[in-house]
Amino acid sequence: MIIFETVRKIYSPNIVALKNVSFEINDNEFVSIVGKSGAGKTTLIKLLLREEPLTGGKIFFREKDVATIKPRNLPIFRRKIGAIFQDYRLLPQKTVFENVAYAMEVMGGTDYEVFRDVPKLLRIVGLEDRLNNFPRELSGGEKQRTAIARALAVRPQLIIADEPTGNLDPYHSKDIINLLEKINDLGTTVILSTHDKTVINGLKRRVVTLNKGEIVRDEQRGRFIL
Amino acid sequence: MFTYLRRITRFGWYNFWREGSLNIATVFVLTVTISLMAFLLVAQGGVKHLIVQIQDKIDISVYLRADLTQEELLTAQEKLSDMPEVQTVIMVSKEDALIEFQERHKNDPILLESLEVVGVNPFYGSLNIRATSPDQYAAILTVLNSTAMENVIHKVDYVEKKTVIEKLSKFISNINAFGLFLALALGITAVLVTFNTIRVAIYDSTKEISIMRLVGASNSFIRGPFIIQGIIAGVIAAFISFLILFLTTYISGDKIESITNGFNLFSWFGAHAIGLFFLQLATGIVLGVVSSLVAIRRYLVA
Repeated sequence: MIIFETVRKIYSPNIVALKNVSFEINDNEFVSIVGKSGAGKTTLIKLLLREEPLTGGKIFFREKDVATIKPRNLPIFRRKIGAIFQDYRLLPQKTVFENVAYAMEVMGGTDYEVFRDVPKLLRIVGLEDRLNNFPRELSGGEKQRTAIARALAVRPQLIIADEPTGNLDPYHSKDIINLLEKINDLGTTVILSTHDKTVINGLKRRVVTLNKGEIVRDEQRGRFIL
Repeated sequence: MFTYLRRITRFGWYNFWREGSLNIATVFVLTVTISLMAFLLVAQGGVKHLIVQIQDKIDISVYLRADLTQEELLTAQEKLSDMPEVQTVIMVSKEDALIEFQERHKNDPILLESLEVVGVNPFYGSLNIRATSPDQYAAILTVLNSTAMENVIHKVDYVEKKTVIEKLSKFISNINAFGLFLALALGITAVLVTFNTIRVAIYDSTKEISIMRLVGASNSFIRGPFIIQGIIAGVIAAFISFLILFLTTYISGDKIESITNGFNLFSWFGAHAIGLFFLQLATGIVLGVVSSLVAIRRYLVA
């Protein structure tokens, strides 16, 4: 499904973020990318989302070279990926319902689909009673669950979660990881980037370890070892 | 398409009311800009009125030779009337001049008696010439001084009026040039201030724009609500500006009339109200939309 082929990223003036990173992710896999801060986890995700250009190498998403996607087609490409971030990235002026609905609306979903699916999604993430609240009125865990519901709203082929538990307490962290596992069990590929040892060791899934921009370990049912 | 338009309108409407303080600043700046432009228009109306008033007071009096027949008089009048620079030529015969003098000084017996002593009508027939614009008097004067008119004219009093006319002509053209310069300078300043205010408002939404892009929103889907916000701000500003103009002209109408000798600001406003309103509305919408479009452009580069 996703192939990283000798991917390099150098930030100006001469900061090497990724050095010849190569690995593949198959359909329906749950892959954790781990590493210390500055190891290159977030850079990897930004490159996959085409938020930043590559310095070298190639990234293929469903056999399509991500670098060759024309700017006008980027929104269509990004709709195939549901992204979840540590800082939630919710639209502050929109309610929980509107945030989730927005993802469907940009895809051209009808009003009928929006009013049918959004309450369902919010029920899945346990926010059915928070429809009309604004993000500022939610706890960290609730914000992250809203972000997950929004990511699911586009029926993505891939979910990317970049430090989704970074701002959460252990209880809510477990809650979010359980939700991601459930999504993966239903057939969506998940990439989880984190430096939370407890989360990784509890998962028992594939772990790719990055250190100073290089892959130092890639194990099925891996553990957090740095 | 309809769903798309409905959605961006809804997003723009909600965003406008939810982002209160920044939009208040935008509406305020737009109101100042539109009001400024409207007041410049009103001022131009006032200046035009003053110019007409001054121009009405300028003419050239041509005193004709005493021995001219009525026919020669009419020929001279006709010749001058045919000039494109001439607006009107009013003939005052020597008899009319005498009657007018007697009428004007009917309470001054000494003056009237002295007329009787002279025994003949001492007045000259004259032609009062009014040009289409003050700068045409020089051309008319050239014709009056030509040999063709030599046998007809006794005296032209333009020399006495020349200095005044020239000063007024210069003053009027200066007022026009200064007014145009002022309108242009203020207009450009106001547009720049508006543009920058909207740019700051959009800069405040940079994070939101990046989130929208991340979710997969197309550029037009992101841009649309900002344009709607610009339109709403422009419409509100136009209404407020129109209200300010209405109140200002209503309150100051009589005072301005007494200062300017007949220019009633409120009547002028009443006569131009519909045009002014739509002009303010168009200015508000165009300013709001163009500023939003230019400001958001840099955030939509993929």
